[in-house]
Amino acid sequence: MFMTDGLYQPSLTRQPIMSATAMPIEEFVKQLDELAHRATTAFEVATDADSLDEARVQFLGAKRGEFKSLQKNMGAVPGESKKEAGMKLNAVKKTIQLAFEDAQVRLLGGAGEAAKDPEFDPTLPGHSFRVGKLHPITQTINELKDIMGRLGFTPAEGPEVEDDHHNFEALNIPRSHPARDPLDNFYLSVAQSQNNDSTLADNPLLMRSQTSTVQIRVMENTEPPIRIVSLGRVYRPDETDATHYPMFHQIEGLMVDQNVTLADLKTVLHLFATNYLGNDVPVRIRPSFFPFTEPSVEADYFWNGKWVEFGGAGIVDPNVLRSVGYDPEKYSGFAFGLGIERLCMIRHQITDIRYLFTNDVRFLRQF
Amino acid sequence: MIVSWDWLTEYVDLKMSHDDLVDRLTMSGLNHEGTEPIDGDQAIDLEVTSNRADCLGHIGVAREIAALYETPLRIPNPQPQTISAKISDHCSVEITSPETCYRYTARLIRGVKIGPSPDWMQRRLESLGIGIVNNVVDATNYVMFECGQPLHAFDFAKIKEGKIRVRNSAQDEKFTAIDHHHYELDSSMCVIADAADAIALGGVMGGADSEVSDSTTDVLIEAAYFEQLAIRNAARKLKLHSPSSFRFERNVDSAQLDWASRRVCELILESAGGELLEGVIDVGQSPRTPDPVKLRYHQLERLLGIQIPEAFVAPTLEKLGLTNISTDESSVTATPPSWRKDLTREADLVEEVGRIYGFDKIPDNVNVPMAASYRPKADRTIDRIRGVLTAAGFDEAVTTSLIPQPWSDAFSPWTETPPMMSSQPMLGVLEEYSKNIGAVNLLRRSLVPSLIEVARINEYRSNVDVNLFETAKVYLPQGENEIPDQPTKLGLVSRRDYFAVKGVIETLVSTLNSSARVSVAPCSFSALDASRSAELLVADTRLGWIGQVSQSVRKQFGLRSDAIVAELDLAALEKLAVMIPVYAATSSFPTVSRDFNFIVDNAVRWGELESTVRAACGELLESIEYRETFRDENKDGPNKKRLLLSVVLRSATATLTGQEADEICKSIISGCESKHSAALVG
Repeated sequence: MFMTDGLYQPSLTRQPIMSATAMPIEEFVKQLDELAHRATTAFEVATDADSLDEARVQFLGAKRGEFKSLQKNMGAVPGESKKEAGMKLNAVKKTIQLAFEDAQVRLLGGAGEAAKDPEFDPTLPGHSFRVGKLHPITQTINELKDIMGRLGFTPAEGPEVEDDHHNFEALNIPRSHPARDPLDNFYLSVAQSQNNDSTLADNPLLMRSQTSTVQIRVMENTEPPIRIVSLGRVYRPDETDATHYPMFHQIEGLMVDQNVTLADLKTVLHLFATNYLGNDVPVRIRPSFFPFTEPSVEADYFWNGKWVEFGGAGIVDPNVLRSVGYDPEKYSGFAFGLGIERLCMIRHQITDIRYLFTNDVRFLRQF
Repeated sequence: MIVSWDWLTEYVDLKMSHDDLVDRLTMSGLNHEGTEPIDGDQAIDLEVTSNRADCLGHIGVAREIAALYETPLRIPNPQPQTISAKISDHCSVEITSPETCYRYTARLIRGVKIGPSPDWMQRRLESLGIGIVNNVVDATNYVMFECGQPLHAFDFAKIKEGKIRVRNSAQDEKFTAIDHHHYELDSSMCVIADAADAIALGGVMGGADSEVSDSTTDVLIEAAYFEQLAIRNAARKLKLHSPSSFRFERNVDSAQLDWASRRVCELILESAGGELLEGVIDVGQSPRTPDPVKLRYHQLERLLGIQIPEAFVAPTLEKLGLTNISTDESSVTATPPSWRKDLTREADLVEEVGRIYGFDKIPDNVNVPMAASYRPKADRTIDRIRGVLTAAGFDEAVTTSLIPQPWSDAFSPWTETPPMMSSQPMLGVLEEYSKNIGAVNLLRRSLVPSLIEVARINEYRSNVDVNLFETAKVYLPQGENEIPDQPTKLGLVSRRDYFAVKGVIETLVSTLNSSARVSVAPCSFSALDASRSAELLVADTRLGWIGQVSQSVRKQFGLRSDAIVAELDLAALEKLAVMIPVYAATSSFPTVSRDFNFIVDNAVRWGELESTVRAACGELLESIEYRETFRDENKDGPNKKRLLLSVVLRSATATLTGQEADEICKSIISGCESKHSAALVG
């Protein structure tokens, strides 16, 4: 209890116990040895719990036990022998205690005294505490990032509000490409300005529609070799339903060096899938189309008896390499991207993407 | 694109099994999505990527099969009979909008007898799920699904003066399509008009007025090339998507117009009779022809990682329709066909050769060199933060980056600059309760409003012990058309009290850096309670803010009970985080603990008193613990309170004597007396 009225006090105060008559150390040791012998014998011969308890009270009783009485003689031992006496006292106490515990185990089967408390109910609930949960998207991202980290890919970050150049132009997505339709993107303007023509500006801003933008930013500032993984939010103005949300997450890997091939890509995807799914998982790649890769492929993994779409990938398009100032004759690279939500939903059998963003704690606490 | 097995056999022998065929097609770029047996035929659904408009017709798919299985391809050579009357005497075409219509051809058939199309044609169209109309319309559809070129047949009698003008629509021009819906067009759209009105929406859909009906006798066959962008915009704006617009959006073959036109005339003459007039009207620009592309053999291995025999390369390109093939010892040069506008560079040919050779032959176990990766400090800091917060019982939320204006206005501690606005709102992201609050189109400058809404959602759903955090970027505008500052913030919302949440933040900070201590400064936000709110600092660095949500904002959000919110700057946390702590010797000497009970004015803040105590203890201080605040006007008078605390002292070099401890106590008491007029009780 905290003291409200007392002025500061030392926290620990103990009065020494003094005895009247002096006792030579030899005598003290003799008495202890004798006590030890009698006590251990008594414990050894005890035949049931009652007789053991009787012996316990006699020798180890907290108030009138023989050991306790003998301990008081410490005070009578001359000062120069105190240390030796103390050590002997402790040793004997330990001996007696052990003998008692041995007998206890012998007679009570180790249950000790606890079984004797009829009021103690070990089945009552413990004092648990609630540990919060990371969002399932974060858990998925962390796992993917871990796996890619083991494969030598370092996480890279980039802005979510991007310019047209990094989101499209540098990725070889021409202005005529459907992906650049203003209706398919969150183009920006400053709210207070009445200028709604920002989408017509040379290099308008938008919420990035893919994490490939990070590749461009990294390559603009770094010379090969490059091995990065970029993760994060991306935005497309889809109408919301069970499988679409206007904000979602992507992971994207990029490796650029001399002589990086489609075989390197397939190998990394194979390692990735094997790591993620915990088995030797077959991976296949089949031709597809993305503006920023050529050849472009779609990667599938074989899981539960069928091919499951993994994500898009390919060899970085020479136009992309050129746009960041790399010589496509010298360097080549691969890139791949996956949607995090899909992986997360398959993994946890979540049936509606909207659950992920409602943040009902009963949902969040399941993962 | 759905293809019929039976229809494909028209162009290529299918000696393989269905399963083998769809596997090979999948592995060469036409992903098999499913097959439905239909009346003895099989409807095979193939996914065609947007660069392969040539595969939006049976001939294109058959060409792929011929290349894959090295088997001949048979393409019809339509030579319809004509009569001596010339089309040019009866009809004229003019393109006034070359930016939307690149080329336009027309043929005229007179004296047709409208009736059902032949059974074989109906069966094939039905396999694809295409509705049956009559022998003219069905023929145009048939040829479109044969070669990918959309065609249109007009009732020639409805074309005033036989004059066709391809022009851009007038603004707000009215148009009734074959689907009998009315559309209002704009000036970016291409229409086919006669001397008076629009009779078709170019490349998208024909008009109701000029459609072929049972009484039609003369038909004008249109085969044209409309520009991709114009068609896409029109289809999108009008929400009018047709197989025709689908193909034009993906770029049809401008060199194929005449073939398609002849082919459909041939089929109409066969099934509807009539006479084809001599000649074709062909206006606009000449077909686009691709340039030759050179492929160096070594690039195949360099990019694909496998060796492909040189002898495989040229024949494969030829099978795919490339012409003018020439080879030397290190390369092959070839001109892509008009229907493959996606083949313009060496890398494109690498893909062509590779996919026909088979990506399945690419190994998945090569030696990728090892590389060291590292985790940036920001990443590791966030991990630690998440560890502390989950241990403290906080769940992680993820909320949208765009928010409606009332939320944006409610709290913006990091900047006063108005938020950036998106031209598109996020649709369907608000809960029922908040649905009418406004468009979700502002880039948030704080995570707090979203978290207040999350607290409300959970309150509404009777969830208890709701403590949530989110780490996400906020968007702080820098200037017009400048990429905004996008720092990552940590937001918290909790139904615990102010000190519980402050304690979590203090624990968080001391976990990141054991010597960092959080201090507070006053702040003033209408979203936060005037008393229960503070700016949080570590030394002179601002971490962020904490506060109880004010009554007015609670009301605004519909939150019934109290909530504490906080928002911290992640960069500041990252900066103070110590990733590799350095050992400091621990004292093996015992502590001395002293309790104090001071009477002070209400206005004295704990933080100030604590600093005085800390200073008085100097190096001997192990810890100061706040115990409680106690008020008793009867004992201490008005506007007074008691602050109770414990101080633990320990020396690094010796056991503290009672006298030494007493010296410190005296200095604590005198310091508190002089600085805070504190009176020690007792």
